[in-house]
Amino acid sequence: MKREWQRTAGVVAGLLSLLAVTACGGQNQNAAGTAANGNNQVAEAAGATAGAGESTSAGGGTESLTVYLNDFDAVIGEMFEKKTGIKLNIVSGNGAEIMSRIEAEQGNPQWDVVWIDAMPSIYGLDAKDQLLTGWTPENVAGLKDNYESLIPEDGSYYPTGAHAAGIIVYNKNKISGADIPATWEDLKNSVYKGKLGMADPAIAAPAYPFVANFFEDKGIDGGKEYFNSLLEQGLRVYPKNPQVVQALTSGEIDIAALQESNAYSMLAAGEPVELVWPEDGAPASVRVAAIQKNTGKADAAKQFVSFLLEPEVQQELIDSGDESYFEPSAEGAAPKADRAKEAKLNFTDAAYSSEHEAEIKQWFADQAVQ
Amino acid sequence: MLRLLNVNRLGWMVSILLAVLVLCPLAAVIIQVLLPGVFFGELNIGDLSLLLDVFNRPLWRKSLENSLLLGIGTTLFGTLLGTALAVIRSRWRFAGATALDAAAWILFIMPSFILAQGWIMFSAGNGLAASLLGWKWVSGAVFTPGGLIAVMTFSKFPLAYLSVRAAMEWKMDMLSQAARLCGARPWRVWLTIEAPLLLPSICSGALLVFMDTIGDFGLPSAIAVVYRFPTLPYSIYSAIYTSPIRFDMAGVLSLYLVLLITLAIAVQFYILRRSRYDILSGRAERLVPGSSGRYNWLLSGTVILLLIVVIGIPIGSSIVMSVLQVQSDGLVRSNLTLQHYAELFRHGADLFPGIGRSLAIAATASLIGLLIGLGAAFVLSYSRFRFKKAIEAATLISFAVPGVVLGIGYIFVWNQKWLEVLGLRLYGKPSILVLAAIAGAIPVITRIITGSMAKVPEQLLDAAQMQGASLISRVRRILIPLIRGALVSGALAAFGSCVFDLAVNSILFPPNFVTLPIVIDDAFEDMRFGYASAATVTGGGIIVLILTVIEAVFKKKGATA
Repeated sequence: MKREWQRTAGVVAGLLSLLAVTACGGQNQNAAGTAANGNNQVAEAAGATAGAGESTSAGGGTESLTVYLNDFDAVIGEMFEKKTGIKLNIVSGNGAEIMSRIEAEQGNPQWDVVWIDAMPSIYGLDAKDQLLTGWTPENVAGLKDNYESLIPEDGSYYPTGAHAAGIIVYNKNKISGADIPATWEDLKNSVYKGKLGMADPAIAAPAYPFVANFFEDKGIDGGKEYFNSLLEQGLRVYPKNPQVVQALTSGEIDIAALQESNAYSMLAAGEPVELVWPEDGAPASVRVAAIQKNTGKADAAKQFVSFLLEPEVQQELIDSGDESYFEPSAEGAAPKADRAKEAKLNFTDAAYSSEHEAEIKQWFADQAVQ
Repeated sequence: MLRLLNVNRLGWMVSILLAVLVLCPLAAVIIQVLLPGVFFGELNIGDLSLLLDVFNRPLWRKSLENSLLLGIGTTLFGTLLGTALAVIRSRWRFAGATALDAAAWILFIMPSFILAQGWIMFSAGNGLAASLLGWKWVSGAVFTPGGLIAVMTFSKFPLAYLSVRAAMEWKMDMLSQAARLCGARPWRVWLTIEAPLLLPSICSGALLVFMDTIGDFGLPSAIAVVYRFPTLPYSIYSAIYTSPIRFDMAGVLSLYLVLLITLAIAVQFYILRRSRYDILSGRAERLVPGSSGRYNWLLSGTVILLLIVVIGIPIGSSIVMSVLQVQSDGLVRSNLTLQHYAELFRHGADLFPGIGRSLAIAATASLIGLLIGLGAAFVLSYSRFRFKKAIEAATLISFAVPGVVLGIGYIFVWNQKWLEVLGLRLYGKPSILVLAAIAGAIPVITRIITGSMAKVPEQLLDAAQMQGASLISRVRRILIPLIRGALVSGALAAFGSCVFDLAVNSILFPPNFVTLPIVIDDAFEDMRFGYASAATVTGGGIIVLILTVIEAVFKKKGATA
């Protein structure tokens, strides 16, 4: 009996230690990474741009910064570490996943910086007093005027660039000549009946700025009228942009309102599509960076936000990033050479988008199932 | 200390573990309805009119109706198909029989978002059916509510198949022979003797099909968007992922999902109230499939055709997709490439560590899940423990509630400041993925083991107890040898399904800790469809290989999975 007891205890102990090993793996990984980078960080970190008057809470170089983002996860960590020696702990997901995490963590936030293309949602975080305010990066002066004007008065977030939340993409084998649309109004044309698609503003991060721009421009009733006319002619609403792309490649639809970088990726992949930048402009999705109000790493966080506003950094993202089709916010950085020269972005007021977010999304979702 | 363990104490231990792993996180999300913000230090009273909104808001009402339609339709057809195949497979020999078992396991393990991609690739307007076979009707047939029920039936029937097949492991010949002696024809014997004996496992299979269907987000959302057929998980997903984020709405919708499951469990209890038969006695023999005689070719043909549909379409399409250069150019020689596979090794920095982490998490979770599942199944089968029904419900609920709801609940529970002081703030650490995976593994393991225990009469254990054997010793020396196959099956099934669990992973993964489903999903989000498919095929291949090797090792030792 005794041997039996020991054997059972051994199995249990083995399992528990396995759990402990798995549990500690990630921590050790991060800790080891931080330690390895620790020493050479201090000098550079101290010299980098930072908000004046803040104490270096975690001793400068020994810290790592937790950044929640939805793009550029493959390159940004290395870029920032090379420049400042500070290591990034990255949580990457789509915009919705990131916002959902932030919301669920509200009681005990684990993030230091959030950097995503969902300005209305970040505006909403500021309204709920969750962002660090009252500081201005020194290099804000280097931003283009229209981007500087997007910065809220309390300085809670800073724009690093913008891309089209939707441009028109059509299958050139199916649509040609006079049928090619030039404006958003053209999509109401009955020749596109049953052939149109877009992403669901309730789920896809860039689809809400897309829809919101029409509502701001035309008024609530005008916006409803516009989308009603598209829904009446069979507009197909997919959860996210990748599904819209699949629908285009599989022939479910011939024409779509598609997020800019997805559209250019389709071209690059050799899919038979053409892009139209509407004459009246494309609704913009602005990528902004914000710092968590109670972060213990405010200095490093500020360095990171300032870093993102540098023209060289934005240029490097355009040259090497995964979502590289966007308009940089800093003077001196240039968009990709093959990005349309006539690209005109229409910005929606963040306060308007945020205040009407629930109402517009609910209306859209309820209409789409009717 | 383990000698002091008795059934009642085991019941309490299992209850506490299930409460921590499943009920607390779920309750945390549902509490949001009553007290929104309570986990963030705010005390507000919730708006209870939300509870009735489900009957007013078009999206919610439609979701509820659609979920019911899909759940009932799939349960009916999936159970019929699964039961018929299990009965045929257990009684007769035919070509493709082993492949059928393998197919059931593959479908059981593959996450629904991957199966969905395959079905869409096959059925879309320019899909493989239309471009390769010229079957333009497929698109119109699949993208309808009826088509969705058919696709769900082809994906979920393994739950019924595995449940019934496990129950048919032992022969019940003496009863059937008695009936035959009294002049009953084979069909009548089956209907009046054998089918009622199988009823518990058929019901159990049906319940699993129902729960897995109404809780599934991946398949319906992917296929239904083409013609817009929102279900409850879709609406829960959009409540959690729509800014402004509404955890309270997600709580209300989850509550309805839990109510539906409770209703289904109640129906099962009603049917099973008097249908537990302890048929396994000293005279039991293993059921060996007999010759199917002149119907051999018919059985083989039908099963092989079915396999081509249920496995060939979803998995085959993923394989095809992984070798296409330009997705819309279809399957022509000039468009074939292996570059996506080459990229796995170039980009491989992500994929292989991801696979490693997922395997470690799944292995740990399935082993710990096996211990807890065995405890739960034992309490359910052989005890009069007071909260037995609560244990049963808890093991089932985590199977059906969408992973993202449990994930949010895990953040609420495991991200509390006071846990930090105790060193137990597990959110943000890999161990939270293990905990969530255990919660996902328990229902699968418990179901499979309970099905197998139903055949082991309590008297066998009682006899040993009279001789003074402790609980641990009774389980080790009597129960485990008799249900070894089910234990292996349960652990392998849990292992396989944990590896690919995207929902929980995507909401809970710690910084810089990417796992296999996240790699696949990221590639999909970045529209690298070829790469995503190649990663799926490679990851899936490695896992099937591991499962096959483990199964073969146990088979050699005499335990069939």
